[in-house]
Amino acid sequence: MSSLPSAEQAEPNLTPILDMVFQLITFFMLVINFQSASLDMSLKLPVVGSARPVDKGGEDLLVLNINLKGKLMVYGGEKEPTSYLQHEAQAARNRLEAGGKKVKQGDELPTLVVIRADHSTPFELLNRVLTDCQTNGFRRFALRAMTRVEGGKS
Amino acid sequence: MRKRRKKKRAQEDVQLNLAAMLDMAFQLLAFFILTFRPAPVEGQINLNLPPPVAIRDMNAQQAQDDDPDVGPASAHTLTITIVSAGNGQVASMTVGLAKLFDGPLDGSRLKMLDRRLKDVFAIEGKPFEQILLRVGKSLNYGELMKIIDVCTKQKMADGKPVNKISFIELQEK
Repeated sequence: MSSLPSAEQAEPNLTPILDMVFQLITFFMLVINFQSASLDMSLKLPVVGSARPVDKGGEDLLVLNINLKGKLMVYGGEKEPTSYLQHEAQAARNRLEAGGKKVKQGDELPTLVVIRADHSTPFELLNRVLTDCQTNGFRRFALRAMTRVEGGKS
Repeated sequence: MRKRRKKKRAQEDVQLNLAAMLDMAFQLLAFFILTFRPAPVEGQINLNLPPPVAIRDMNAQQAQDDDPDVGPASAHTLTITIVSAGNGQVASMTVGLAKLFDGPLDGSRLKMLDRRLKDVFAIEGKPFEQILLRVGKSLNYGELMKIIDVCTKQKMADGKPVNKISFIELQEK
């Protein structure tokens, strides 16, 4: 019974645990990538060993996740490519006009279109999206692929 | 002096309640752990896809090249025809007018395509500037990427890599 008062008064030193937690928070804050929210991870990309590393420049990107049905996956929802691309092209033209450049409908846009399509998507459906992009003025494309098979095999 | 000592003692006795701060820090940590998603190991192949109207059919181009009145073509296009099987695999491939192989794509056939393209791009006096892929409707994107990968590895007569690749859909029966 005599040890009870001293046990009640015991206060653990929280400073080291707080230090460690702040270090962990700093780590997670540094590695967080909000851009990856636009990538649909349910798609199985093809594996191409010689694909170049993704450029992380500050250029204007338009990421298109194309599923097996040829539809665009935008933040978890399916969208029709034609109307979505028209809207995005208009937005890109508006951005250019805000910067002082006049661009007509169908003119070449500097936006880099990143294609992330499932490896089993038939070409017929993929080509519809590519043609829609070209019709709306997109000329620069980057076809995304995995550089190695998930699980470590190359 | 007494006053000073009292003040010093009072300052030394101040103890911050770290429990509340630790609670908040753990909540932040939980948020970052739950939303953490490591970036996938992705690469990309950059392409310039010319507008659809600028692409000419190879036969039409051949006819134009043969016609001395028309003069040389502005952009020489090498056509690769890829016929697809029903399962999304390659059924046959033709480079220019010569058939390369029949059957699905594998490592040895990709090497065969690479060798053929190297030979074609090495021909002097016929500088190809772009590749036109005529692709069967049902060909899988995965198979197509393997072919694009081989095409983008090629170099033109002036040493620049081939990055002008265009696609048209092959009308299959």
